[in-house]
Amino acid sequence: MGTSVQVTPLCGVYNENPLSYLVSIDGFNILIDCGWNDHFHPQLLQPLSRVASTIDAVLLSHSDTLHLGALPYAMKQFGLSAPVYATEPVFRLGLLTMYDHYLSRKQVSEFDLFTLDDIDSAFQNVTRLTYSQNCHLSGKGEGIVIAPHVAGHLLGGTVWKITKDGEDVIYAVDFNHRKERHLNGTVLESFVRPAVLITDAYNALSNQPYRRQRDQEFLDAILNTLRGNGNVLLPVDTAGRVLELLLILEQHWEQHHLTFPIFFLTYVSSSTVDYVKSFLEWMSDSIAKSFEHTRDNAFLLKHVTLLINKSELENVPEGPKVVLASMASLEVGFSHDIFVEWAVDARNLVLFTERGQFGTRARMLQADPPPKAVKVTLSKRVPLVGEELAAYEEEQEKIKKEEALKATLVKEEESKAVVGADVGKTDPMLIDGHTKADGGGVRGEAYRDVLIDGFVPTSSVAPMFPFYDKTSEWDDFGEVINPDDYVIRDEDMDMGSMPMGGDLDGKLDENTASLMLDTTPSKVVSSELTVQIKCSLVYMDFEGRSDGRSIKSILSHVAPLKLVLVHGSAEATEHLKQHCLKHVCPHVYAPQIEETIDVTSDLCAYKVQLSEKLMSNVLFKKLGDYEIAWIDSEIEKTEGGSLSSLPLSTAPPPHKSVLVGDLKMADFKQFLSSKGIPVEFSGGALRCGEYVTLRKVGDASQKGGAAAIQQIVIEGLLCEEYYKIREYLYSQFYSL
Amino acid sequence: MASIVGGQGQSLKRRDSTLTRESDVMTITPLGAGSEVGRSCVFMTFKGKTIMFDCGIHPGFSGMAALPYFDEIDPSTIDVLLITHFHLDHAASLPYFLEKTTFKGRVFMTHATKAIYKLLLSDFVKVSKVSVEDMLFDEQDILRSMDKIEVIDFHQTLEVNGIRFWCYTAGHVLGAAMFMVDIAGVRVLYTGDYSREEDRHLRAAELPQFSPDVCIIEATYGVQLHQPRHIREKRFTDVIHSTVAQGGRVLIPAFALGRAQELLLILDEYWSNHPELHNVPIYYASPLAKRCMAVYQTYINAMNERIRNQFANSNPFDFKHISPLKSIDEFNDVGPSVVMASPGSLQSGLSRQLFDKWCAEKKNVCLIPGYVVEGTLAKTIINEPKEVTLMNGLTAPLNMQVHYISFSAHADSAQTTTFLEELMPPNIILVHGEANEMGRLKQKLVTHFTDRNTKLYTPKNCQSVEMPFNVEKMAKTIGKLAERTPDNGENVSGLLVRKGFSYQIIAPDDLHVFSQLSTANVTQRITIPYSGAFGVIKHRLKQIYESVESVPDEETGVLTLQVHERVTVRQDSENHLSLQWTADPISDMVSDSVVALVLNASREMPKVVEEVIKDEGVEELKKSEKIIHALLLNLFGNVKYGEDGRLVITVDDNVAYLDKQTGEVESENEGLKERVKVAFRRIQTAVKPIPVSGV
Repeated sequence: MGTSVQVTPLCGVYNENPLSYLVSIDGFNILIDCGWNDHFHPQLLQPLSRVASTIDAVLLSHSDTLHLGALPYAMKQFGLSAPVYATEPVFRLGLLTMYDHYLSRKQVSEFDLFTLDDIDSAFQNVTRLTYSQNCHLSGKGEGIVIAPHVAGHLLGGTVWKITKDGEDVIYAVDFNHRKERHLNGTVLESFVRPAVLITDAYNALSNQPYRRQRDQEFLDAILNTLRGNGNVLLPVDTAGRVLELLLILEQHWEQHHLTFPIFFLTYVSSSTVDYVKSFLEWMSDSIAKSFEHTRDNAFLLKHVTLLINKSELENVPEGPKVVLASMASLEVGFSHDIFVEWAVDARNLVLFTERGQFGTRARMLQADPPPKAVKVTLSKRVPLVGEELAAYEEEQEKIKKEEALKATLVKEEESKAVVGADVGKTDPMLIDGHTKADGGGVRGEAYRDVLIDGFVPTSSVAPMFPFYDKTSEWDDFGEVINPDDYVIRDEDMDMGSMPMGGDLDGKLDENTASLMLDTTPSKVVSSELTVQIKCSLVYMDFEGRSDGRSIKSILSHVAPLKLVLVHGSAEATEHLKQHCLKHVCPHVYAPQIEETIDVTSDLCAYKVQLSEKLMSNVLFKKLGDYEIAWIDSEIEKTEGGSLSSLPLSTAPPPHKSVLVGDLKMADFKQFLSSKGIPVEFSGGALRCGEYVTLRKVGDASQKGGAAAIQQIVIEGLLCEEYYKIREYLYSQFYSL
Repeated sequence: MASIVGGQGQSLKRRDSTLTRESDVMTITPLGAGSEVGRSCVFMTFKGKTIMFDCGIHPGFSGMAALPYFDEIDPSTIDVLLITHFHLDHAASLPYFLEKTTFKGRVFMTHATKAIYKLLLSDFVKVSKVSVEDMLFDEQDILRSMDKIEVIDFHQTLEVNGIRFWCYTAGHVLGAAMFMVDIAGVRVLYTGDYSREEDRHLRAAELPQFSPDVCIIEATYGVQLHQPRHIREKRFTDVIHSTVAQGGRVLIPAFALGRAQELLLILDEYWSNHPELHNVPIYYASPLAKRCMAVYQTYINAMNERIRNQFANSNPFDFKHISPLKSIDEFNDVGPSVVMASPGSLQSGLSRQLFDKWCAEKKNVCLIPGYVVEGTLAKTIINEPKEVTLMNGLTAPLNMQVHYISFSAHADSAQTTTFLEELMPPNIILVHGEANEMGRLKQKLVTHFTDRNTKLYTPKNCQSVEMPFNVEKMAKTIGKLAERTPDNGENVSGLLVRKGFSYQIIAPDDLHVFSQLSTANVTQRITIPYSGAFGVIKHRLKQIYESVESVPDEETGVLTLQVHERVTVRQDSENHLSLQWTADPISDMVSDSVVALVLNASREMPKVVEEVIKDEGVEELKKSEKIIHALLLNLFGNVKYGEDGRLVITVDDNVAYLDKQTGEVESENEGLKERVKVAFRRIQTAVKPIPVSGV
């Protein structure tokens, strides 16, 4: 029997909820995607919480919340501690997306599901892979090879291929076969006949207009509003599809020398673009090419201003402008605030580029007809004043004291370990005694002198440090403590914790950082109001997913032995299931949440060694990528229990000859006419010459497999032509 | 007449499978860099697959003489060409090789390498001052080669023609890679230039996860040991500091890209830490300086964590104390200064101009920061001769101090030894090193690995190393054939399918399930004119064949004959017999003989045939007329017999007249006319017997 494979959806089946699926391969539990929605409803994660501790590895496929949003929460609350695998952009942009979400939420509510530190520590575990890198798992997962492949849709988007014993399990959701400005199309079609394919039905029912036409409509809508002195708001995601939109706008502005300002406003916009600039190798061929030739980075945006703070936008002079702001859901974030301001003006346009998540404000506004008014909650974080502040301070003081006491106890044990740790952290690149100005994150100033400057342990020499004898005074109660030291250190910690995070995850804008570090006590003040929607609302599909028709054709090309459908409305899932049952393969599953389905392939297989004696008599015939031969062999069991095949000692028994090859009637027609035989199609048959007809019966595609056994009928009168045509027909095949 | 299937007829897809047995001997031949430094190029064949690593030029020669020995090989046989990094001695003959030879394989390099490759070679074409006929390639060739070069990311596994390969970080320069090639399970690692020491901007070379069977490794530094990096850096900055403090000038001849960036990082940092030096200018004299910056800024993901963290704050390659210098004319040579100029060999260009200008002055310093190739001026002055020859042919005293501090990021002998120790390859081939140095390293490694049965080779250029590999071929039997694991001595027959180097044994019925191939059944049906009695045929068949069975047809109940259970003979009409069988060499043969038999039988009774045909002629005609009418009625609805014997067809007020004898149609409506014509023609062919003139 083959490798045992079980699939258990944890979230996101028969609806558009976030994605999260458990795939168990020979007992090795892989969590593929760990999504959450923009509302961060903890009850969505119930199924995940039940299995989190058994998970052995996590694979992330895209950098948006729907695919990785729950990772920090799951790591913190559910004891999920497995290694995480993702591509570099998914890791980086996913991190920024989470930051943006956190900051947007924090700004308007006492958001406490996870903190920035949780995000950092969750992402610390990520092993970063490149496309088609075969990563061999070890330990419990010995023998399993995972490899990310291009998925399109988002930068770094991944189709995961999990291989064990030559059987492929492919996870491909939200892929896009079309090439876009900044992304290549998916390579999903290059996989053939995987044992299991897990894919989504999200777009099974939708069809897209042509890209050019859609782009034109998009730009027209924006420009018309701008020329009518209106503002355009594009609620976008943090670091996903927005990149494509930025490129569209940038290119159009460049070509037509437009001067309307464009703003990209998220809490992390400048870091996003900085990182994206260094991800050229993950983008489309044309972007790479243009960089090679002109050295112009496509994301060196000349017409787009990056903002990380709404107040900057308010300083911009009046006049029509385009603002791309997060979140796409319009629930929170800059897009929400701007929407509230702009919705009341009929000149303005709110342009949605993706379907809003279910139950969000964006989804509500995309309804047809759009609502006339929506209720919004305007929340604001304001610093504490007066009595509140006093109360807060008192409380903090108490907490601090307790902590100081605790720290004292812990400190003693730690002090020795710190020596080693700090040395490791210190920059080994110093040339001389000058301390680096930006000793970012190095707090152990006291231990700095331990280091011999520029000392670099080489591989041949065991690293040795001068013995540092810590002299400290002791009394009967232990080390003498000066409480003041610790008070200062505490503050130091507060200040230091963020740059530390910054080091690990790269850069955060200073303003953002200050915002995050803003330790001024504050509270959230909310007020509800109803916004009359006068502005125009438009939805255009810039989601960058393959549409229904393409999905179907890709699926029938890939032709998996077993197919699992997830993520998509019940209607879409059912539709795709019926379609695939008819045209793709007989084993199509669409499991419910927490329903475990067994997709273990019913393949039988055993390995046998091909002896040199046998192989020397085999003459291969080449057919495309394949080489093929008929063998008759005798099996010999060696002592080790392995099988070896030897040539037959007796004359081989006759076997029914096999014709191998794929006859395409149209190609054969061409071939015959090139041989000077008049051919034409009539009534589904190929008339060759005057007396011979050739037919293919029992259409190959009906059985599902890309090519089942073809039945070809050649009939005609007894004549020379008949034999000639038959010979040509045979030449299309290999007979074995 | 008939051909046996599988004969050597004309074929569309069939290519003669190579009859030459694929040898299991791996041959590795350095075409360059064999016991020398420069023009790296290693050619390797195994199991009919051919790979070439690197394609450089020798910096000490010019024109064709600088090329690797391409004459020794047939470039058209190469499947894959892998370039490790952008240095001229590893990549500069690529445009020549791609554009001027018969090479038609695929070329791969990393993203950063490709971006810099173009910059560097365009510059190389511009500055090399050889005559036009000596020119190996021009700017256009480089541009064309860019289109053929494909990119590979670190760790990305690609498969071309059954050759699987991927690459690891090699240190050395930005984008430098070590290639691991896997052919049928035998792995070869080609390190290119590598360094196991992390520096200011690059990662150290990775240790591959898999141990290779053959390791082709550089031996540039032989048995030398590098000083620890911080000591080298200290020496470097000390020399510069003291020289400029005494009013001298420092010339650093360095290769424009790669190591230069590392030196600039050191200088810039040193300057920012020493405010007293701020009035001493540092120049980076390279036309590429500015353009390569974009590349260095973009591919930070190929650099180490340190630089990436710095990048978070500001671009570390945005130097504060270093200014670019386009040419010597712009250079205002007053007072102390530090100039980094290319090329590193001091053979020509700006570095040589400055050298000529400064070499007589005692205060000045020439600081050689990297490996110098035999036969270049840089190598000559390391030995500190009394006099040197200037570019204008005059000799001048060499008073300038010469310091040699290597930053060239090649592995030293300690690194090489540890690297090999961890990898434990059974075969080691040393390349890219001077013969003497290499010999010493070989000796050292031999003593080091004595107990391990490791084979060490130091081939010269064009000298082949042959290594036999015994690769066990394993096949996976799947599908119906594998429903039961066979016992000892049992026979297994099926299709052996090879893709790349993996084998599968599959039952013919399963072929389409496990591969993209499909099988076909061809049913043949042939009609033979025969008007005799069916019984005659039956009798004759029984005389000749062992097994002839009468079976009633399933649908019509007509009696049919089955010959050897392969060919079915049946009387279709009174004048025709039909034969039906499934294509197969034996069935084809049987059917041929049946055909011959039937033809013989009918030749013996010509009279009977003739009469029967005449009798039926008139009836047939009437019958066919009826059928024609009925069919037309079905097609067009309103069909009547006209007065002149023509058929009148009326469709939506349009009238067409059809002459049944001639098939001519008259109508005012062209569309209808065409349709009637076609319909009639088809009916005719369907109704009337096909003339059998051909037989």
